[in-house]
Amino acid sequence: MNINRPCGTFDRNYFQAKELYRTRLRKVLLALLILGMYVLPLLIGDYGISILTVICAFIIGMLGLQIITGYCGQISIGHAAFMGVGMYTVAILQRHFGFSFWLALPFAGLVPMFIGMMFGVPALRMKGLYLAFATLAAHFVIVYVISNWRSVTNGTDGMWMKRPGELFGIDFMKDRNYYLLVLTVTIFMTYVATNLSRTKLGRSFVAVRDNDIAAEVMGINIAYTKIMAFGVGCFFAGISGAMGGAYYEYVNIEWFGLDDSIWYLGFLVVGGFGSIFGAIAGATVWKIMDELSTLVTPLAETFLGGAAFYASAAFSLVFYSLIIIVFLVFEPRGIAHRWEIIKRSYRLHPFPY
Amino acid sequence: MEETIKSIVLGLCSGGIYALLAVSYVVIYKSTRVFPFSQAAVLIIGAYIMWYCLIAWNLPIWLGFIITCAGGALLGMFIERAFMRPLVGQPILAPIVVTLCLMLFLRGIGILMGKGDIQGFGESFLPVGAWEIGFLHLPKIQVYGFILCGVLIAALMLFYEKTRTGLGMRVVHEDHVVAQNLGINVKRIFQYSWIISCIIAVIAGMLLGNIQGVGLALDANGLITIAAVLFGGLESFAGAIIAGLAIGILQMLTIAYIAPLLPGETTMMVPFVFLLLILFIKPYGLFGLVRIERL
Repeated sequence: MNINRPCGTFDRNYFQAKELYRTRLRKVLLALLILGMYVLPLLIGDYGISILTVICAFIIGMLGLQIITGYCGQISIGHAAFMGVGMYTVAILQRHFGFSFWLALPFAGLVPMFIGMMFGVPALRMKGLYLAFATLAAHFVIVYVISNWRSVTNGTDGMWMKRPGELFGIDFMKDRNYYLLVLTVTIFMTYVATNLSRTKLGRSFVAVRDNDIAAEVMGINIAYTKIMAFGVGCFFAGISGAMGGAYYEYVNIEWFGLDDSIWYLGFLVVGGFGSIFGAIAGATVWKIMDELSTLVTPLAETFLGGAAFYASAAFSLVFYSLIIIVFLVFEPRGIAHRWEIIKRSYRLHPFPY
Repeated sequence: MEETIKSIVLGLCSGGIYALLAVSYVVIYKSTRVFPFSQAAVLIIGAYIMWYCLIAWNLPIWLGFIITCAGGALLGMFIERAFMRPLVGQPILAPIVVTLCLMLFLRGIGILMGKGDIQGFGESFLPVGAWEIGFLHLPKIQVYGFILCGVLIAALMLFYEKTRTGLGMRVVHEDHVVAQNLGINVKRIFQYSWIISCIIAVIAGMLLGNIQGVGLALDANGLITIAAVLFGGLESFAGAIIAGLAIGILQMLTIAYIAPLLPGETTMMVPFVFLLLILFIKPYGLFGLVRIERL
């Protein structure tokens, strides 16, 4: 709950206390933002739309990691693998069972959810670092299974995926329309995540993060809470994978390396722990950096000649990790914290504090 | 039966390096309470420095060894001073993310150093060939590597037992605040821990590069060792050594019995399934401290 409330807003009844957005200005700004996101594809070209689609898909996944790590405090080093499970679920259901995208989408959330809960079971006995090891192991086991169960997942060759067909006369094969679909799903999932943090479950997540023994004393079932955190987070990851994979209409296990799981965690730090805005900022920064590093590759080619392919790989590794480390050292609370500071100084404008 | 004994003996030999690596993790974890995922990539750096010394600069082996160790020490000092010290006292998540990112950072440096290729040392710096004892086929590289690892671990234990700095480090292992009150410079001990650990990891990288070729794939060994560290218990040197040898044996048994049944990189997957089993059955490992917390 945001304590830094604008001046003069008080809760006069219960419904006001429950409101997400209190002042008219914030409501108008939010409406403008959402409207702007829907209108934006009319103004920018195909390249811009592709970036926006990927950003939206990754925002969903980042929200999932925010729930596991930011809200519940459980470190997950296997988030990219769960995203991959979501993608592959849709691809497998479409290929082997002839499901449509719409029918497969709930499974894309549910299958990673159950797998995530399975790997979260060690939470019954331990916490912190030990759970991070369990997710690391989950990453390797999942990647192994997907890349070697050739009859089902087509191994390392990847699989084709189909985008959703027409719905209400909207053709999702067009990139622009598909972006609108992803955007709608992203807004819905953001809404769900925002409200989840205000439910009983969400509050018990935060209690477990802050002090799990104290939470247990207060009557929260820690193991259940932690496993639910993994379940919900991996549900988000799976949906994110399904939306992202369907955009490319192709799935490949190479996309879910250990690197990606670590970038997930790292850019969550860059965005900011424990806030929805942090997750959105983290995913956006990550994907914009991705685009920048693909823009830099031709430059590297002109400078380094034929050796560019390794230089660009090294560039992204070195550059990303330095950014994350610098953020952790100098601004451990991430972009979200900076944003709060800016907002507060705007509200209190003539006065310093 | 013959096959089993063969695998176990070979596994013991290759397990020496895993034991050494596991010790390098434990050195840092015990004193700083941060789990250094980055050591998996320090391996790569060590192997590449040795490769530069031997192949690119044509230095003698002993000089290459010294330069590599010095490089490892500098790297450890730099990591501790630049990245880890500002994070002292931050929540557990921050150091974990930093060490994970450091792993990828060092991997990127490794790509730049090796120009993305797998390199070899040309000729091995340890004796090649093999001894044939009965049905056993013992490659000399592995045996000498095992002996070197044993000597290093013994030297480290002597350092901990006999020197004044080692005593200080053991105090820091127990409790940071108590150590500070006793007049021990805890920050310096952290630095020593990183330096020692990086030197060990760099030497392990050399040995592994000698056997497997110098390349980015070396960090797989470091990741497998994480399973060993957890099996032995995060706070125990004895556990790390035993578990390192056990992981070596497990890996050889995997190659002998499980790899023919399953496709793909089973040697990478089986240690992690093993890790999951440990987490379910005995999460604090063989000799790890079971933490009892209270409000």
